[in-house]
Amino acid sequence: MNCEKCQEWISDLLDGTLFTHDELALNSHLEECLECQEVRADLQAIVSFCETQRGEYLAQPNERALWLRIRNMIEAEEPVVAVATASSPKLSWREWVSRSWELSLPQLVASAAAIVLVVSLSTAVGMRRWQSVDPAVLQSNVRTNLQDAAASVLERTRQQQQMIDYWNQRVELNRVRWSPQMRETFDRNLKVIDQAVNDSLGELRKNPHDEISEEMLNAALNEKLAILREFADL
Amino acid sequence: MSIRARRTRASICRACFSIVILVSLACTGVLAVYAQHKVSKRYPAGKKVRIQLKNISGTITVESWNREEIKLYAVLESPAANLSPLATGDGLLIDVMGDNRGRGEVGDITFRLHVPVNATVDLETRQGDISVTNIRGDLVRAHVSSEGDITLTGITAEKVIARNTMGNIFFDGEFSRNGEYQFASGKGDITLRIPADSAFKVVASSQAKRIAMGQFWNDGFRNLGNGRKYEGYVRNGHALVTVTNFQGSITFMRR
Repeated sequence: MNCEKCQEWISDLLDGTLFTHDELALNSHLEECLECQEVRADLQAIVSFCETQRGEYLAQPNERALWLRIRNMIEAEEPVVAVATASSPKLSWREWVSRSWELSLPQLVASAAAIVLVVSLSTAVGMRRWQSVDPAVLQSNVRTNLQDAAASVLERTRQQQQMIDYWNQRVELNRVRWSPQMRETFDRNLKVIDQAVNDSLGELRKNPHDEISEEMLNAALNEKLAILREFADL
Repeated sequence: MSIRARRTRASICRACFSIVILVSLACTGVLAVYAQHKVSKRYPAGKKVRIQLKNISGTITVESWNREEIKLYAVLESPAANLSPLATGDGLLIDVMGDNRGRGEVGDITFRLHVPVNATVDLETRQGDISVTNIRGDLVRAHVSSEGDITLTGITAEKVIARNTMGNIFFDGEFSRNGEYQFASGKGDITLRIPADSAFKVVASSQAKRIAMGQFWNDGFRNLGNGRKYEGYVRNGHALVTVTNFQGSITFMRR
């Protein structure tokens, strides 16, 4: 068996779907070929990683708020439906739409005045309510929003961190084979990227809505992932 | 024994000792030279070729010349890496990473390539400086995944990408009308030297707040994040220039 065929079958071997005689042939090749053994180990590691991470899904953003909105909409619709069914015998929707809407000048002026009055009143009431809100409550709301934004960034960071942890494990396995100079180079470069990550996280703790820090954090984490992948191959 | 005789004997000993040291040093030098392995090859090429080089460690220098051929010169340090350049239909592929996978550590390889002026150049290395001079191809890409300076001089290409983690990046060239230019460094200064009449859109981000647009500054620029990011147009250009730096500076200079 050649390496190409072997590497084609490794996935089936791990799934346990190979015929016995194929499995025997494959195993005998694997005993002799270091390169194919490494391919099998890599694939095995990826499969195990995926299996252990299974079931961890991102929560819907503002899941609670979404459900509240849906419940409010359902509750708001119920009385309207009831009123509509009660008044339906008097005037149907089609009749109501198709009736003539031509207004005389006094009627038009009266309607405009009514609209202006309603808008002014509702604005005044709204302003008074806004001004009468307890500053402590307002501050607490702002704090909650900031905490939500921070949680969302942390969640995204956590996902990238999972990938970084995986490649970090690969690096740790291989770095014993590296020369001291190679280890120093790797550590020095990783330190630069880690500092960028920490700086961005520090800024985000101060201001969770800071888009530039988010961009920088994302770029730094991607950079870290790239360097780990690169050195994991060594 | 007289004092004079003792002095003479001491000076003879010193002279012998010096000669031994010199001979040893010379032998070491000779051995070091023999530890290097040199490769020089030429490949026929059309006017438009693609050069792809994936080195592990060592300096890469690419220069254009006025011939329709590629000249490869490489110096391999001990333990010498496997080097199998592959002449493809449209250029040359040198994959040191692929050729030495699973071999453990190998010595540095210093590359010097001469290519036609319209070549597409795609270079990457894990460690070491990259220098590209006088290229007018479609793409110039230089990627150092850890440490190394990148110097791109006399470049006119539709797409230029230069990235490293530690080290300076210097670009001296022209931006094409609809070109795309990306420069990114973790810790190093990025300097772009371009003609005064260049037209482009720029997005420059520096965590260290060290962005100097020089004579390309105009009031239309948006300052975001207290000087950590600048966005704006220079002469309403269509070329897109993206520059990102974590710890170093970003400087635009007039040619």
